[in-house]
This record gives sequence, structure tokens and C-alpha cells, in this order.
Amino acid sequence: MKGLIVKDFINVSKNFWVIGVIIIFYGVLAFLTDSPGSFSGMFTLIFAMFLIGTYSLDELANWDSYALSMPLTRDNIVQGKYLMMLLLALLGFLVNAVSLLILNMATKAESLFGGFELPLGGVVVVIIFYSVLLPIISKLGITKARIYFIIIYMVPFLLGMLIYKKLKEDNLIPPERLMEVIEMVKNNIYIIAPLVVIVLLGISYSISIGIYRKKEF
Amino acid sequence: MVSTLYKNQDKDIHTKYAIEVENMSKRFDGFLLDKINFKVPSGSIMGFVGENGAGKTTTIKAILNLIYPDEGSISIWGKPACNLSMDLRSNLGVVFEGSNLHDNLTTDNVNKIMMNIYPNWDQSVFYNYLNRFKLPNNKKLKDFSRGMKMKLSISIALSHNSKLLILDEATSGLDPMIREEILDIFMDFIQDEGHTILFSTHIISDIEKIADYVTFIHDGRIVLSENKDELIYRHGIVRCKRDDVGKIDRSYIVGIRENDFGAEIMIKDLDTFKRRYREFIPEKTTIEEIMLFVSRGRRD
Repeated sequence: MKGLIVKDFINVSKNFWVIGVIIIFYGVLAFLTDSPGSFSGMFTLIFAMFLIGTYSLDELANWDSYALSMPLTRDNIVQGKYLMMLLLALLGFLVNAVSLLILNMATKAESLFGGFELPLGGVVVVIIFYSVLLPIISKLGITKARIYFIIIYMVPFLLGMLIYKKLKEDNLIPPERLMEVIEMVKNNIYIIAPLVVIVLLGISYSISIGIYRKKEF
Repeated sequence: MVSTLYKNQDKDIHTKYAIEVENMSKRFDGFLLDKINFKVPSGSIMGFVGENGAGKTTTIKAILNLIYPDEGSISIWGKPACNLSMDLRSNLGVVFEGSNLHDNLTTDNVNKIMMNIYPNWDQSVFYNYLNRFKLPNNKKLKDFSRGMKMKLSISIALSHNSKLLILDEATSGLDPMIREEILDIFMDFIQDEGHTILFSTHIISDIEKIADYVTFIHDGRIVLSENKDELIYRHGIVRCKRDDVGKIDRSYIVGIRENDFGAEIMIKDLDTFKRRYREFIPEKTTIEEIMLFVSRGRRD
């Protein structure tokens, strides 16, 4: 399985220059606007997006059927992608955190570690995003799965927007009970978020393994 | 410890047949692979031939457990192909028609990847093959020609102590010079009596050059699977008048081709045919002609 990670990292590293350009561009922008926080949000996500790139390259080369003729199991192929996703999220977090630290120092921010909740939040978002996505990719392949990405992520987003708009227009106040739950989640986010992530990741991994074991090439 | 492991592996692969396919069927929309039976003897080259779409690649995919047969069984070195240990898999070299490697990789990248996948990867052997094939180290694969990509795939297949090569259309679309070079490599490989090749192609001249056995698949069915020399020896062509076709017992006829000047009949069981029909003088034939008569000739 190590070979699969090496393969993905070699492929991803060929596009690392993009990260360099983004760091410089947004770094300068954040420095000029004196807002390191705005710089932070996207890094983990951009790193994580490289995973989709590895799927595209694999599909283009018809890699999976070749890999399965090697001393690798079907489970190894799936494990490789989940591990790669976690590694990219971690790498994104590290680059993000280090860049933020430097920016905080440069802008003489109040706290040196100010805004660190954003890269951490990025990791959570990435894992949730891919936990939904990876079983779909395992089933359909990346080309077909792209259409579903849009549906899966745009529909709830648009629905949320509509509900929010409606609530605001009609001046409706959310039920007190709901507000209490939201408040409780907010207060315990550092316990709830990791738990949700672990459970979701576990379910997603089991589904992907199940799908991939049955898949024919 | 390592030497014990490899000794055990050697014992595992010294079976009479490297591959055994028994009554394997698989149904797709509009295509049926119907009760496929053949055995690849260890230490031999088996040519797996048939026209495009006959079922060669599908059969190879089933052998490699990439598709699941509806019925029947497949074994490699006597072990179920669907449950082959990783040790045995590492002795399997596979070359598909496409390169199956990412276009943005270099051969150095490929070496790094493979050395982390194959426990028995030998990078000195790999780089020797790259030198022999004159494949550059620093060029991306997208700049490789089709022939170069195929040579790279073959280099990979031969660089991890493979005992069994499974090649799916490995020489298709290549010019005769490169094909000749690749066939020479296969001939070198087979000099070791523990090595076996299953070689699928629709280029029958390649099979005539290197194969010991031939399996012919047509329309999802195995038409014949036997020793190449015996196959040629047991078949012959009779050229006669159209009216004479009816004189020959149908059990001898593989296929008939008719034209304005008469008829050509592919005969099987040549020895008994010659004893029975002294008035006909069969001519020698080739694998290619036998295949053509089987797939395109009529039988009565």
C-alpha cells in the first residue's frame, strides 16, 4: 500500500507549484488587508482537492485494473485513498498553520495562534466532504461522480440559502429548543466535531470497501 | 527467512499447469463467455488467439480476478485465482494493451512506485531493461511512443522475478521491428523452465513464431486448445472441385471456402483422412489459415 501513497504523492507533487503561487498571492493579499483569517480558510481545501486529481489520473491511465494485478488487494486500493485524503488534509493544515503563524507575526496580531480554528475547521470540512464523496467515487468512478458532487453539495447549500432567506423575509424566529441545541453544539464543538468525523469516516470507509470488493473492471 | 520464503514460493509454483480455467462462464449484455476451458502448462508459451471482441481480454480479466465469473473455476499455480496470496501475486507479471501508467510520471518515478509495491522488485534489472530498450529516465511518459510505453510495461513485468507473464495484446499496434524485439525478450524469459507465458493477441504470426500451445477463442467459446505443432500437423487444406466437397465426411471438415474456381476445405485428423481418401492430396497449412477457416468458413 505504501507504493500507492508514493504514486499519489508523486502525482500530486507535480502540481505543488500551484500551492506556492496561491500562498504568495493570498499571503500578500492578507498582509495588505491586515486579515490573516481570510488567508486561512481555503488552504486545507485546496490541498484536499488534489485527491480528486489523483482519482482523475488513475482513471485516465486505467490504473486500478493494473494495480490489482500487483501484490495489492482491493482493500489496499481503498485504504490508500483514505490514507492519502487524511495525509493531504494534514499537510494542508500544516502549511496553513505555518503560513498563519508567519502572517500573525508579520502583522503583529494580538495572538500568535489567532485564527487557528480555521485550518482545524478546514480539516473537519475536508474529512466530511470526502466521507460522502469517496463511496460515490468508488461506485461510479471520478468522471460520473463529478455530476453527483454538484448535486450533493449544491442542493443542500441552495436549500439552506432559501430557508434562511424565507426566515428573514417572514421575520420568523427559530424555535427556542433548536437554538439551545445549536448553542450546546457550539459549546462542545471540540468534542462533537472529532466524534462526528470519526463516525462518518468509519461508515464511509466500510461502504467504500463494500462497493470496491464487488466492483468489476 | 527471506530465502525460506522464496523456497516455499518456488515449491508453490512448480505445478503441472500454471493456469487452469475450468467451465468458466460470464454473461454480459449482448455477450456470453461460455464454459471456457483451457490449461496453460508450466514452462510453456500459450498463445491465446481470436478476433477482436472474441473474449480474450475478458478471459484474462477473469484470470486476474478483475471480473467475477458467474460459474466455473480458475486457478493459478493450483491455487484459486480469486484468492491468490500476495507472495504468489508478486511472481505474476502482467502487461495490458494500454500502458496503464500515469502520463506525467518518469521511469524513475515508476521505479520508486514499483519498489514500494513489489517486495521482490529488482531495480538493477529494471534499469538494465530500460537501457536495453533505450528508454530515457528523465522524460515523462506522455512523450513516449506507444512502442516505448509497451517496452516500459514489459520491463516492469520482468523486474520482479516473475514466473508467469500474462500479456494482453502486448504486441498489437507495434511495428514489426519492435514486435520482433519484444518476442525475443519473451523467448529469453521462457528459457527458464519454471517460467510460463500466456500471450493473447490477434496477430497470429507472433503466435506462430513463439508459442508452444495455442488456444483459440471465437464468439466467447474455446474452439481449440492444443500443442501448436500437433495442431498444424493434424490439419491440412484440400483444394478440389465444388462437386467433390460432398464426397468428404463432414466430421473431417473444419471449414469450407468456395470461389469461382473450386473449393478449399480445411481438414482435421489428417492422418486418418489421408488413409481414407487417397484421391485428395492435402497441403500443409498454418495456424492463421486454421483460425480463418474456423471463424469464417462454412461447415457444410
